[in-house]
Amino acid sequence: MDVGGEPNPRLSIEFCGLRFATPLVLLSGCVGFGEEYTRIRGFSNRDAGAVCLKGTTLAPRLGNPPHRICETPAGMLNAIGLQNPGVDHVVREILPKLDFGETRFIANVSGSTVEEYYEVTRRFDDSPIDAMEINISCPNVKEGGVAFGNDAAMSARVVAACRRATRKPLITKLSPNQTDIASNARACLESGSDAFSVINTLMGMVVDVERRTPVIGNNQGGLSGPAIKPIALLKVHQVYQVCRDHRVPIIGQGGVAGAQDALEFLIAGASAVGVGTALFYDPLILPKINRGIADYLDRHGIASVSELTGSLRLHAPEASACGCAPSHPGG
Amino acid sequence: MSDQAHRDTIFLEDAEVLSQEAYPAEQYFLRLRAPECARHALPGGFAHLRCDPLLPMRRPLSIMRVSPEEGWVEFLYKAVGEGTRLLAAKRPGDRVSLLGPIGRPFEPHPERPRVLLIGGGVGIPPMIFLADALRRDRRFRPLALFGSEVPFPFQARPSQHLVGGLPAEVIAAMPLLDDWGVPSRLASLQGYAGCFSGYVTDLARHWLDRLDAAARAQVEVFACGPHPMLAATAAVARDFDLPCQVSLEEFMACAVGGCAGCVVEVRTPAGPAMKRVCVDGPVFDAYQVFAD
Repeated sequence: MDVGGEPNPRLSIEFCGLRFATPLVLLSGCVGFGEEYTRIRGFSNRDAGAVCLKGTTLAPRLGNPPHRICETPAGMLNAIGLQNPGVDHVVREILPKLDFGETRFIANVSGSTVEEYYEVTRRFDDSPIDAMEINISCPNVKEGGVAFGNDAAMSARVVAACRRATRKPLITKLSPNQTDIASNARACLESGSDAFSVINTLMGMVVDVERRTPVIGNNQGGLSGPAIKPIALLKVHQVYQVCRDHRVPIIGQGGVAGAQDALEFLIAGASAVGVGTALFYDPLILPKINRGIADYLDRHGIASVSELTGSLRLHAPEASACGCAPSHPGG
Repeated sequence: MSDQAHRDTIFLEDAEVLSQEAYPAEQYFLRLRAPECARHALPGGFAHLRCDPLLPMRRPLSIMRVSPEEGWVEFLYKAVGEGTRLLAAKRPGDRVSLLGPIGRPFEPHPERPRVLLIGGGVGIPPMIFLADALRRDRRFRPLALFGSEVPFPFQARPSQHLVGGLPAEVIAAMPLLDDWGVPSRLASLQGYAGCFSGYVTDLARHWLDRLDAAARAQVEVFACGPHPMLAATAAVARDFDLPCQVSLEEFMACAVGGCAGCVVEVRTPAGPAMKRVCVDGPVFDAYQVFAD
């Protein structure tokens, strides 16, 4: 049992100047405000390098009507709609109860206007939070969210506003629901983003054929789980091409459900790996993934997990059967 | 650190299937070996089961009975979808990942010893768990009223316990509760022998109508079942000015409060709020959930 043990020191990474005990990051929206999963015996935030808190807006939000979730083949849809008690409540009532000795805590900044992103960031800046993730990719709110994230110029404006509000590390969470994620990443990087989360959920729908209505109360929702992993891996690979020379780290995420998945993300260019939906399957999955990564490092004689980042060796274009560049499959 | 009292209260167990019995209309009794859940579960609590490795999302099932001594937990469920059908295929010796116990339990109040338990369909199990707890606590006098529009998942028999204020022809009872000394009666629109012909909430209203004011002031209502039945239960409780606790269900992902996927809108003094069915419930004050 890994319960109670410290993760292998070779799993430790440095992320925007913060030490993560492992490359695993618990994803925003899956673990509430950091304490919920500790209800389960054997679960420890120490098994994660960082924990991203639930998306937070300036004012409290009730979120979307039920049903908010629905299982899909190899995944699930969700449309929570950024239910949260507002940034002041989070800073005053929730953060003081978190044990910052256990892991790094990252706030998730959300909003409907550029000004709101600025203001939420400013209020988190004046708190013990370790870093902030800018959520410009929430697919489940009518204003802001993905409406900003799918437009490079708007994304850049949001990042620039947040940058003015803090010197803490800023991680921009990119949407997969856009044509050119690399251009968006470049714009955000130039506006001061220190890191990226790649990817947020993909928009989807499930239909109740008896009622002829969408199952999800919000009609559409964000798809997560193993179904989206290949898409996420390619996006990480694409964003890594932008980030590599700037040494800007990526939290790769999307369908990670085991050590093999985590290794794929690291090799494709991620410095850290997000775990979300898989917790719903197996709440005690973190030590298993950590152990699997450590075993891989042993087997390959690799001293530190950070050596894996971006170690992907692409096939030469001429080796490709269709003759097209591997970064443009089917092109 | 402060406020970490909730830590380590839910257990992940690789539970062995001890027995699974099929009843008409795809209803199943499932008994799992899960000693930690059995030791810590309280009436109203549920477990989140991984029905099959093919379907990784878990399904929440109300706990019907536990034996802390023998280390088992029992459920009654209806196979309604892919997950519960896969669960129904499990045989003794198979393993099911169980996360539990979860949720805020029912809170009976000794100053209201006449406990009225109303269960509809697959809402019956938590009422059985509560009846089991109350029969061990001599302060309470529970009466269970169950409704179903498919055959009850047990062989009903005439009750050994007299209950005043009910129609004389309504004699069918659940044998398990009868043996426990807990009076029960059944209701259905399907014309089952010995059952009240109507909704279970109409049977409840019939009984409450015939109580005198002093007796009625000792009643508290507990209910679990389909949403329309719970709404009708809340209306009955309101008419008789009785406290009422209801157990709700909703699609769930994490079941530990992390994802806010399973919310219900409730009324609070501060205005409407979205509460998580998993850890803020599944038991709620009926008046917070059902408007006038």
